[in-house]
Amino acid sequence: MINATAPLLDVRDLTVTINRDGRLVTALDKVSFFVNPGEVLGIVGESGAGKSITGAAIIDLLVPPLKRTGGTITLAGTRLDQLSPKAMRSVRGGRIGFVFQDPMTSLNPVITIGQQLCDTIQAHLKLGGSQTRKRALDWLDRVGLPNPDVQFKRFPHQLSGGMRQRVVIALALCADPVLVIADEPTTALDVSVQAHILELLRDLHRESNVSMMLITHDLGVIAKMADRVAVLYAGRVAEISPVGELFNTPKHPYTRGLIRATPMPSATGEMRLDQIPGAMPGLGAVPPGCAFNPRCFRAQGDCRATIPPLYHEKSSAFSCFHPLERVTA
Amino acid sequence: MSASDFLILNHVSKVYRRNQSLLERLKKSESGGTKAVSDVSLTVRYGETMGLVGESGCGKSTLARLVSGLMAPTSGEISFPPNASGNKPRLQMIFQDPYSSLNGRWTIEDIIAEPIRVHKLRNGRAAIRARVDELLVQVGLSAADAEKYPQEFSGGQRQRICIARALAGEPEFLILDEPTSALDVSVQAQILNLLRDLQKNLHLTSLFITHNLSVVRIMADRIGVMYLGELVEEATSEELFRKPRHPYTRLLIDAAPDMDTSDRSLHPIAGELPNPAFPPSGCRFHTRCPFAQDICRNTVPPQKATETDGMFRCHFDLDLSNASVFPPAAQVKTA
Repeated sequence: MINATAPLLDVRDLTVTINRDGRLVTALDKVSFFVNPGEVLGIVGESGAGKSITGAAIIDLLVPPLKRTGGTITLAGTRLDQLSPKAMRSVRGGRIGFVFQDPMTSLNPVITIGQQLCDTIQAHLKLGGSQTRKRALDWLDRVGLPNPDVQFKRFPHQLSGGMRQRVVIALALCADPVLVIADEPTTALDVSVQAHILELLRDLHRESNVSMMLITHDLGVIAKMADRVAVLYAGRVAEISPVGELFNTPKHPYTRGLIRATPMPSATGEMRLDQIPGAMPGLGAVPPGCAFNPRCFRAQGDCRATIPPLYHEKSSAFSCFHPLERVTA
Repeated sequence: MSASDFLILNHVSKVYRRNQSLLERLKKSESGGTKAVSDVSLTVRYGETMGLVGESGCGKSTLARLVSGLMAPTSGEISFPPNASGNKPRLQMIFQDPYSSLNGRWTIEDIIAEPIRVHKLRNGRAAIRARVDELLVQVGLSAADAEKYPQEFSGGQRQRICIARALAGEPEFLILDEPTSALDVSVQAQILNLLRDLQKNLHLTSLFITHNLSVVRIMADRIGVMYLGELVEEATSEELFRKPRHPYTRLLIDAAPDMDTSDRSLHPIAGELPNPAFPPSGCRFHTRCPFAQDICRNTVPPQKATETDGMFRCHFDLDLSNASVFPPAAQVKTA
């Protein structure tokens, strides 16, 4: 992990609302985090926690009725939230690459993958025709597609799911971005292929030292890939910690609940499965106070009355009035 | 065959044929097709949960449909040996997606009452309604929910309704096809715990299909591992994880990332899943197997029995109880 003075991406109080028949419903509530240069920040949470909305809000790809209504997003000194839509277009795919969940729908089915790569490169880097082609072929090779010359002329439907996701990764990285946002990059893939794609992302990350935001619901993926982890719950940050601390000594009861609810053999080989009662509140149904209080075994009066602020410690932050002791693992 | 055998699959195969042209049909020529399930033999004992794992396209869902009778096998036979009363066991299925497997225009009461009415398990409105309420409570919902519609429930609650509907038919045998894959982790844990309690209390025999090895490890007594339509290994849950006999099982166990942050190595399986329509010759796994030799490419491996009542299909007797048995070269990407 590189400790630079200034973070590469700094998100403060990011708020996103949904306009539901004139009624404003908060989807993201003052989410703050930062990504250091060369770091992998994992963003984890259950569906509806606001992980994908966070990713989409950063590159201004929110689909109405979702709308960003507050907060600042700073990428290496530039305020992304104040850029014009035109300037934002050059950031997307240029300085920020994006890997989507489903490789079936994130490629254009009627254009060859080589052409899609060339288009992206030409849009963001001022290169000549032959150089563009060379770079595209080079990227197909780097993401591990055999015979780039042959693959260059193929259409997405002629490739397997894993191969398609490799192309999507090439598209995200081919214009030398400073930040890659990967939204559930392996969720649609089989286990054996998932490990390939994760390894590829890790190799490319090490080579290019690009910063990464890895959005996933899979704690196993987080444990293997992330340097720091932000846990989201009902549109708020529950905890941000270095990955080792998060798994060994979680501070927020939700974090520990999530870890214990994941079916995973313990070191001794026995299986335990501790469920969290209830379900995550839906949009607009977030209870007053801490959003987790109805499901939390440590909840007290203050949890039901006030939203806990984000308490910062050395390397971590958590929003809980009654955090778990560091020793209780 | 013993008295405790509940379900026996004997060399079951299923071929999905492609549509033939008129000329081909007139010539009665043999058309090619995808062998989704090939030569699977399996025995499920009374009261036991049989898990089936495998990646997409391995034929696990096809096998579920064959067992449930929704499709007929192309060859081989599926039989339920008659039980004490001489009747065939009642069977119910729980599906993956709780959003598409409930009728949105029916109330929860209608949905759960349908199997009761069809099988004439209760007579009279009041008796049926009482049974519906009882089932709702049994799966962790309340009797008041019977008036509502599926849209008013979250994914986890809908899956509970699906479970209540399956139990309404008073089944002896339950087929669960990826019942928690569409659910979040915390809700998945609730549903798995519920299913585990129900299986224990109601003495159900079940077939549990999933792609998630950790889930099947929690739920199943015995586990079958499928690869490209073949059952490559079958053993008790404990034995399979302690001492897998087939290289694919070992690789599959290692491929899923665990939550150990001190060892961050990844273990991908070399190569990609071949097209199930054109499986490789010999052993179907030889294209990705780190131990593959010439014999694997040419000869189909025999089905070998283990001393602990399991089965595997491999030419070699490998000791795979340790994760570090693979040469590093086996882990480089070849795709």
